[in-house]
Amino acid sequence: MRTGLNIAVRYTRRVLPWLLVSLACATAPAQDHPDQLQNLSVNASAAREQGDLPRAIELYQQALQLNPKWAEGWWYIGSMQYGANNYGPATVALTHYIELTPTAGPAFALRGLSEFEEARYTEALQDLQRAISLGAANQPRNAGIIFYHEAILLTRQGDFEQALGKYTQIVSHGGINQDVLTGIGLAGLRMPMLPSEVEPSQLDMVSAVGQAASLFMGKDLPAADQAFQGLFQRYPTVANLHYLYGYLLFSTDSEKAIDQFNKELAVSPDSAVTHSMIAWAYGSRRDYQASLADAQQAVKENPNLLIAQLVLGRALVETGSFTNGVQHLLAVVATDPQNLDAHLALVKAYSELGQKEDARRERLLCLEITGREAKSNATN
Amino acid sequence: MQRISVGIVLLFWCCFASAQGNQKPVTCGSCHKSQALTQPGTQMGRAMQLPGDNPELSAHPKLTFRSGLYLYTVETHNGQSTYSVSDGTRTISVPIQWSMGAQAQTWILFHEGRMYESTVSYYPNLNGLFTTVGYEHAAPKTLEEALGRPLSDEDVRTCFGCHTTNAIIDHKLNLSTMTPGLSCEHCHVGSVAHLKNAIKGDSTTGIASLSDLSTEGISNFCGQCHRTWELVTRSDWRGTMNVRFQPYRLANSKCYDGTDPRISCIACHDPHRKVVNDVAYYDDKCLACHSTALQANAKVCPVSKSNCTSCHMPKVPFPGGNFIFTDHQIRIVKPNEPYPN
Repeated sequence: MRTGLNIAVRYTRRVLPWLLVSLACATAPAQDHPDQLQNLSVNASAAREQGDLPRAIELYQQALQLNPKWAEGWWYIGSMQYGANNYGPATVALTHYIELTPTAGPAFALRGLSEFEEARYTEALQDLQRAISLGAANQPRNAGIIFYHEAILLTRQGDFEQALGKYTQIVSHGGINQDVLTGIGLAGLRMPMLPSEVEPSQLDMVSAVGQAASLFMGKDLPAADQAFQGLFQRYPTVANLHYLYGYLLFSTDSEKAIDQFNKELAVSPDSAVTHSMIAWAYGSRRDYQASLADAQQAVKENPNLLIAQLVLGRALVETGSFTNGVQHLLAVVATDPQNLDAHLALVKAYSELGQKEDARRERLLCLEITGREAKSNATN
Repeated sequence: MQRISVGIVLLFWCCFASAQGNQKPVTCGSCHKSQALTQPGTQMGRAMQLPGDNPELSAHPKLTFRSGLYLYTVETHNGQSTYSVSDGTRTISVPIQWSMGAQAQTWILFHEGRMYESTVSYYPNLNGLFTTVGYEHAAPKTLEEALGRPLSDEDVRTCFGCHTTNAIIDHKLNLSTMTPGLSCEHCHVGSVAHLKNAIKGDSTTGIASLSDLSTEGISNFCGQCHRTWELVTRSDWRGTMNVRFQPYRLANSKCYDGTDPRISCIACHDPHRKVVNDVAYYDDKCLACHSTALQANAKVCPVSKSNCTSCHMPKVPFPGGNFIFTDHQIRIVKPNEPYPN
């Protein structure tokens, strides 16, 4: 079984040169002790190029004692420590670098990967997402490792649908390997854990599920269907399998998706997320009366599930229960302030209630969110 | 299926009533005379035109347009039109069955088992063909690509759902039930049952009244085809291309109030009649609010009390210049200000 560490080491060898290239324009060391700094810098570079990393690190550290604002020095220490699997010191050095160069996407990426190895998963995810927003994943070779780690961390914290979105990006770039298949399987089966934490007895099943979903993500729909039908026969009582297929089908065939969601309910009758998706599917057809019952059931099963609150809020607004709907939608934006769907529904609710200023505020917020998303998509 | 069977029942009752009384068939227009008289001539009433009933194409028996390698030709003889595209060596020709639009027209073509939206359209102000909106940057690599854009099931539902009546049954296209353009039951759900009951003498079962909808509700209702504020926002359609989405533009106006009927679509527009192009016609609608006598907190224009829309709802050319739309984002327009999104 591959561990997260092994994966990271293997990826590091591939990704590090690219991250380094991304920082080719680092700053020069000359400050208060120009000659001494220059010498240290030259010697450190020479040691690094000769592969004498301990010596190089020591020289860079001496240089940084003379000039702690020498960003390039921090970067080299951070990247070398990371390469030597010294993740704590790597994180510290990269933190210094980021303080001096706060928009350096590759540094956020490398710090995120270091934090991942230190099991500081929350910080790791934040840094990887910041790295992506700064364009660190724009190069396909960087994208693979960054999106993969983001996806496994999203899965670990229970953001399965977001993780599946990331895996779709990885698959579309041809980045399928055994680790990715296991990751997809975990996200698809809604198992909040890292690939390294999967029980050996479950690994085959998780991987097979990942394989089926990856076929769908790669747009080989007949092969995906065949793979899923095989899984349904082999694992008839495994929760979330029909849900996963329904979720994947949803954007292209809501009819078949609803069918799969209903089959999931036969396996897991109290699945709040499945009730939510059925409600969402009916809502997308503007059949909000049909949506309402499943939305109510979803909230009953799990009032803390954001999508359940969202579909119920929307269904209530669309069926004329504006005030009730607002309560559920406010619960969504309290947790997820940038949730466009919730704000769009609030626009309608406030407008129908005659709360003109609230409606206008929500409209402006929606336009801000979509504008920002479009800008971000254009950048990435 | 439910709507089909209702249609069959309607047909039966119309014939039955006609035979019984040896009178004209009973239709919506039998009672709602003024609406039935004018609505079919509106742009919505003529949102789709069929072969043999297309004055624009009949008046232009041969239209041509070249776009890069490709030469487009639309020829009309005896009411039947053919759309052709040629790359100089090969030509694809297909009959035009469905013309979308009363004046400007884009065609839905059927070729080798699937539907396409035509790459070129007819524009009255050009008196000829030009690239269809959205295709400005298209660079077709094959003759098939040059023909048009293949339509997904969702596209088909959208096109036929907005340009015809009763074409979409249970989320699927059903040409056998389709009526071209928008007729009564497109908007007035339940009108078939209402008519059936009225023929039997029961006029108590009314149709769902759209006048009961709030201003927000009307905006969303009309927005099903003219695009809702939500759809335009969600799609992030920015820039002057969104000027044609009136419900979006209107809702962005500072004066928009989802519960005030004076700012509703139907406060200014009667969908049963042709759009009024005389700007003075709309003055009363504006002054319904912008008059101190009526509403203290609405600003009163210091410049004029007439032709309000000529300043506050400027005409905006659509990208490409083939259309000019009235901007429904009502505002005080300042010189050289950018188009507000």
